[in-house]
Amino acid sequence: MNQEAQDTAISRRHKVFSALRIWAIARNTFTQLVRMKVFYFMLIFSALIIGANLLFLSFTFEQELKILKDVSFGAMSLFASIFAIVGTALLIPKDIEDRTLYTILTKPVPRIEYLLGKLMGILLLLAVSILLMSLLFFTVLYIRQHGILTEKIASFPRQVSDAQIALFREDIFSRGLQPELLLGVLAVFLKAAVAAAVALFVSTFASSTLFTIIVSLVVYFIGHAQSLALDYYFAEGEMPSAAQRFFAGLIGVVFPNFQLFNVTDGLTAGEVVSASLMARLVGLTAFYLTIYSLVSWLIFAKKEL
Amino acid sequence: MNIPHRIALFFSGRWLPVCLILAVAGFLRIPVERDMETEFKDQGFRDWSPGLSSRDQLTQAAFVGALGGFRSLVASVYHLKAHNAFVKKNWGEVERLRTVTASLQPKFWSYWDLAVWDMAWNAFGYYRGEAERHGDDFEGWRIENIVMPTYLQKGIDFAKRGLEWLPDDYRLLKVIADIYDQKMGNPEKSAEWYLKASRKPDAPSYVYRAYAHQLTFCQGMEEEAYRVNKDLYRNSGEITLTLLRDLERLEEDIVRRAASNMSYEELRAAALAEGAGYLEMASLGTYLLEVSKDLPAAIDIYGKVAVHPGAPSFYRRKLAFVMLKDPKQTGRAYQMLKALALRDPASLRREDIKEIARLESRLGIPKAERLKP
Amino acid sequence: MANASPPAVLIEGLTKIFRLPFRKEEVVAVDDLSLEVGAGEVYGLIGPNGSGKSTTMKVLLGLIAPSAGKASIFGLDSADTASRGSVGFLPENPYFYKYLTGSETLAFYGKLCGLSGKQIRRRSEELLELVDLTSARDRRLGGYSKGMLQRIGLAQALVGDPRLVVLDEPTAGVDPAGSRKIRDLVLELKRRGITVILSSHLLEQVQEVCDEVGIIFNGRLVREGKLDDLIAIEDQSEIVLQNASPQLLERIGALVDEEDGAQMLRCGNPRTTLERLFLKAISEGSSQEGEDH
Repeated sequence: MNQEAQDTAISRRHKVFSALRIWAIARNTFTQLVRMKVFYFMLIFSALIIGANLLFLSFTFEQELKILKDVSFGAMSLFASIFAIVGTALLIPKDIEDRTLYTILTKPVPRIEYLLGKLMGILLLLAVSILLMSLLFFTVLYIRQHGILTEKIASFPRQVSDAQIALFREDIFSRGLQPELLLGVLAVFLKAAVAAAVALFVSTFASSTLFTIIVSLVVYFIGHAQSLALDYYFAEGEMPSAAQRFFAGLIGVVFPNFQLFNVTDGLTAGEVVSASLMARLVGLTAFYLTIYSLVSWLIFAKKEL
Repeated sequence: MNIPHRIALFFSGRWLPVCLILAVAGFLRIPVERDMETEFKDQGFRDWSPGLSSRDQLTQAAFVGALGGFRSLVASVYHLKAHNAFVKKNWGEVERLRTVTASLQPKFWSYWDLAVWDMAWNAFGYYRGEAERHGDDFEGWRIENIVMPTYLQKGIDFAKRGLEWLPDDYRLLKVIADIYDQKMGNPEKSAEWYLKASRKPDAPSYVYRAYAHQLTFCQGMEEEAYRVNKDLYRNSGEITLTLLRDLERLEEDIVRRAASNMSYEELRAAALAEGAGYLEMASLGTYLLEVSKDLPAAIDIYGKVAVHPGAPSFYRRKLAFVMLKDPKQTGRAYQMLKALALRDPASLRREDIKEIARLESRLGIPKAERLKP
Repeated sequence: MANASPPAVLIEGLTKIFRLPFRKEEVVAVDDLSLEVGAGEVYGLIGPNGSGKSTTMKVLLGLIAPSAGKASIFGLDSADTASRGSVGFLPENPYFYKYLTGSETLAFYGKLCGLSGKQIRRRSEELLELVDLTSARDRRLGGYSKGMLQRIGLAQALVGDPRLVVLDEPTAGVDPAGSRKIRDLVLELKRRGITVILSSHLLEQVQEVCDEVGIIFNGRLVREGKLDDLIAIEDQSEIVLQNASPQLLERIGALVDEEDGAQMLRCGNPRTTLERLFLKAISEGSSQEGEDH
């Protein structure tokens, strides 16, 4: 009893900010999301990329590998964004509905920690699901590029020399499983992370899950055209009216630029993205996450529960 | 109604700071994002903004998809559509879809190449068949003289548009040269584009050789053609059969011209001068053979050409064939040809092997000693 | 409470007004409510549904901000997260994460309270024992009965070893046996010196376990005091009859009317004393309400 009194005395010293508490919430959120059976999406994903693989065998290997990469990255990006928005939109309303939020917030847990824990949980889920999807994607790509090489060697009428095989291999593999694809995977994750942060912000003031999903999706799509609005704002030559410029500028300021994260479109076409740009993209994501966490907290801190 | 009051109430609470933070964050990030965008563009990434031209051609859904971060995927879908149109031989549709595909991902070489191929090879080939089917009627004439050249030009135009995006891609330059060579029979233009292609950093050596080859067909560019081919012969380290044939053809031309334009004295002086080149000797040889019909002297001078250190191997073949004109030398000529066939088969032509076989039967060479084909 | 240590709960002039979105109306959920709970007491907050009990508790726990007044726990303002370091809360009809087992649930909430792994293990052991769920510790909460959920909820409220426990309708929807179990647990907490606030619209348990009760109606504390004081009513007498015919009752009524100043307040089947008190307090409350307007 004495020992315990001592223990609890330690625990009672309240920490203003505790990474351990956030981690506990994050892990719990992760489990919560996994329990929502989001991983069933993975089956659709596998069906898609395997289908893409089987359907388009009649093309040159360059085309075939590009289509495989396009479909995989496209599906990955789509699913990651859907996970991010729908998953996040479900989290807080679910906790309120089940009153589990009360039990958490009546522990010495600051609301910002609750939000960060939720955000981290969804990021964790995104990371795991994107990792699983890319693993599947890379496996299919690996099998396919070896298959193409075998077919190519078999299709040759004469005996092929080792040097020629090495040449084919390089030619095929340079359009297949390359380390740059990892940058594409990273970009998919970063984009989904920003989408999740947006959805988290919307869910702190939204009255329903559906509202959160719709608003987040609108932000997501307008965010892709945000840079077009800014092009209009910064347009030289023919001058738009002041009101039009103001509106364009407003869109630029309010909506995040999601188009910047579309690195995969270039990667599948064999373009190269510099490390410095990728590093800035990571920095930009961190900035977005910080800002949206901050405003989410401002709204959530005073939310009447 | 007190709507202004309500708006004021809305912003006075937690929303005012939220809006402020979002605005400040927007102003902070926009310059950074614009910079990154420019840099992406410089690296060839964010290279497509849905301008009106491609927007008109895209369906609404594809446009949203392309805008929503699935540009590459949409391009792949249009690629498949183009392939279907190709299967149906709907060439107008193929052209439209290829335009969309390529403008969606203009940095992807293959989309331009496919467009060129569909126009200048597939559509062109299809209409050639149509023209043959129609025969000599007006429709046949129209297809052959209007439709087919149009598709070749469309192919060239696609490649040129691709070059605006990929100015350093030798493959697009080469494909233009291919069209001029294989479809239009225009060696001058073909040579010009092969040369452009060969100057690009990753152009393989055969592009320059293709240029050298095309040059040999260009009227009035014989000297340039000889200079380029000779240089290749000396310096490229890779002597192909085409190069040898081209060089042989070009040198024969030079030699023949010299033999017909110069006097015997001039030719003799040039051929016998100290350090005379094999071309001067060959010119004299040609003169002796074809003008003065002095076979022994011709054999003598061709013998010198054949052992000249700078002379290409086809002069040994030439010597053998000159010697064949002298019935007494048939045996030696046969031995020379046989030696060439064994040691340097590239210097012989396909029909030479038959010639050797004929010689073998005429000379009664035992079966065991004959040249195995 | 004479000593320097602050009371377990102090609520002063608490007012909470809810503004309905997009309408002009405002709803006063709690109206200038003050109350104080000393350390170690068991305090019952009773009142009908919608009377402001839950709102009061939510303000106390920092879930909502008061429109006026303040609430504090052991001297720390409720708005301060640190004040929740010494509270455990069991919401009404709690649902926890269905996919967690009993002991995982306690571990999760233990972590939120900042307990170490070792502390969590010992605390869960002890609490599962206390709420009689040791045998169900490795079962998922999805398979728990209502009473078990209430008990794991209580254990969860206790995991941070709080000095104050707030129970919102702890026996609502629980069968009588489970209800008794919870009542015993409250008494056990009291024995351990833990302050308890519980709200209820059912009176039996409050009557049996509370040292002090507050009756809340329309957002106001209409009565407050020691249970015994509130129950004892000097100027009233009670007759309990068996097998009385209506005629007999009528005659008794006539007899009462004959005497000056005497009045028959009520005639019916007997109720628990507290329930009667409760009904009386409410009728007074609504008549006051009537005077106000």
